[in-house]
Amino acid sequence: MTGERTGGVFRETTAEPRTRAVPLAHVSLELGHFATEDFKAGPERLRAHFARIRPWADAARAVAAAGARRPRVSTCLLVDDYRADLSPPAALLPVLIAEAGRAGLVIDYLARESGCAVADGVRVAEEVEARLVESPPPGSDGSRPPVGQTGWLANGRRTPGVRTVEAMADAPGWRPPAETATRRHSIFVDAELWDEEPGARRRWSCAFLAAVWQLARLGLLRHFGDPVLQPVPWTVGADFPGDWDTLPPLIRINPSAAPFSAYRTCSVLPSRLLPVEHAVRVVLDQVDVEPRALHQVAARALDEGLPVPEEISDRISYVFHEGP
Amino acid sequence: MAVVQDTGEVTEQSDEPVLLIGEVRTCLLPHSQAMTTRGAADLLRLRAGEQVRRSERPNSYVRSPPLLTGVDCHLPTASGGKVRAVGTVTAHATLTEGRLLQSGAYCAVTAHGPRSRRRWGHYLARPGVVEPFGTLSERDVADGSLGEDRRPGELALGAIVDRTLSRVLRDRALDQRPPFTSQATALRWVGLRAPDGEGASLTSFTLAGDGCRTAELRLPAGTAAEAAAGLCHDLSLHDWLLTSLVRVVELSRLGSTDGRDSLAALRPAVDHLIHLWLPGSRVASALLPLWEALERHPGFTRQWSILVQRIRDQLALQTAVHLLP
Repeated sequence: MTGERTGGVFRETTAEPRTRAVPLAHVSLELGHFATEDFKAGPERLRAHFARIRPWADAARAVAAAGARRPRVSTCLLVDDYRADLSPPAALLPVLIAEAGRAGLVIDYLARESGCAVADGVRVAEEVEARLVESPPPGSDGSRPPVGQTGWLANGRRTPGVRTVEAMADAPGWRPPAETATRRHSIFVDAELWDEEPGARRRWSCAFLAAVWQLARLGLLRHFGDPVLQPVPWTVGADFPGDWDTLPPLIRINPSAAPFSAYRTCSVLPSRLLPVEHAVRVVLDQVDVEPRALHQVAARALDEGLPVPEEISDRISYVFHEGP
Repeated sequence: MAVVQDTGEVTEQSDEPVLLIGEVRTCLLPHSQAMTTRGAADLLRLRAGEQVRRSERPNSYVRSPPLLTGVDCHLPTASGGKVRAVGTVTAHATLTEGRLLQSGAYCAVTAHGPRSRRRWGHYLARPGVVEPFGTLSERDVADGSLGEDRRPGELALGAIVDRTLSRVLRDRALDQRPPFTSQATALRWVGLRAPDGEGASLTSFTLAGDGCRTAELRLPAGTAAEAAAGLCHDLSLHDWLLTSLVRVVELSRLGSTDGRDSLAALRPAVDHLIHLWLPGSRVASALLPLWEALERHPGFTRQWSILVQRIRDQLALQTAVHLLP
């Protein structure tokens, strides 16, 4: 209870949480997720990628258009500058944008993956991790602390530790893990969110950063009520910097683009990323998104006659294609 | 290879909650100074990147962001019947006047639920709501929640409250030197649905030993769980104040010892407690009549005023003694 609910004329703004809304498109369409190897193989590989996904991008647009009178679809792509040493943006990005254009695809927004870990000084990944509310396996009565300290997140009950089984002579043998939300057979997933080497900084996993990326695209990230990972306009033709750290985490390269965040997302990705995206869903199913941000999106979508599914992971979809 | 669905269906609907179960613990912040509002906000920032609510009128009050805990267990019952329920429990910590630390957890239980567990996202979309498997017997669960004995495997709100409290108490900003010793109190509470057309009421408020209290409320349909929890925090806070002031006066052996000794013993009350009495100041107006019931009988404020008057009389007397030649 805070002051504002007691009624009357007196109000205190610090007692009322505020959450800023973000502009929203209908669909955020991701055109790829690019890492060192994609660039090393030369412009031909990028050209082949964009040519391959063009029909799927068109299909995603057509589906979005079916639901809305004037569909707002924004396109984005993610460059992985988090894991490996990449050539500088000035060397890679002009080629990437040109090859997309050659296939008839317009890139509206471009993000670097390290921005999903820390964006403009905000530890985005850490704040999302703080919002994880684990799905309780049966028997969770609240007496044990959540197991969130380990850096792993599962969709069910893990196999009991091997050491304890050995230690107890009369212990039952191996017990299988169990997925919580299944009626019979399990597909148990235990996803690593981060690891840490002594003296080094925590490294977020690709899957966890991809989950943060989905939340950003769904307009559901807030830092003390303010949106984070917001696009910075980038003048077409302006030189890209020689250093990834000096590039804003998310740039808008098409001035007439629809908003970056959207009610739904569709990602066109190679099939090899399917396990990563499964882990993304495991994470998204257990994030306690800021309720006011969630409400803003749901209310706006309903106003437009395009209600969003209640569950976050139902708002995201994929096209998995063959090839590298 | 589904791309984008045409319409978003809202997943299965849930029933209205018919029962609230909560617990709140109140204690003195183990710190020699009262915390400033800013210090309190840092202390209660229990979740990175989320706002702490701060209020300055009519007194300083800071509340942590809500923390959710997922549960899938049996609800406590008086009959011993097993009612499995799934959902989330809301917990938060508050600090009043930089001095009084409270930690509370509560959940709202719906009348019915499906006989199998739903996807977790469904429960996350209803923070602080727990759904039973089948039909809830709210009287049985209310009695079980207020009862003394918790069977293993039953919902342990107390553990969630304790965990939230210890997170705050472990903070290095606290010097662990409270200005006087005091006992923490715990209030277990339930809120049942009031009959249609009737307003909110307090059915019982019970003082048990060891600082344990229970309260049972009747609430009209649509009363926010947060409002009911707010009332119970306020009740618990003032009950703690009264309990602690009674204890300070007892320890001072007022009227039976040397004036100076009793003055020294009363000093913490004057320095740290007397100004904290502000019943009902953060309670939703619809729930204020519940406070008034306690004011009529046994008369919380009446007892408080008498104690404060006794302390002031003693101070005046001692001053007079010193002024005499």
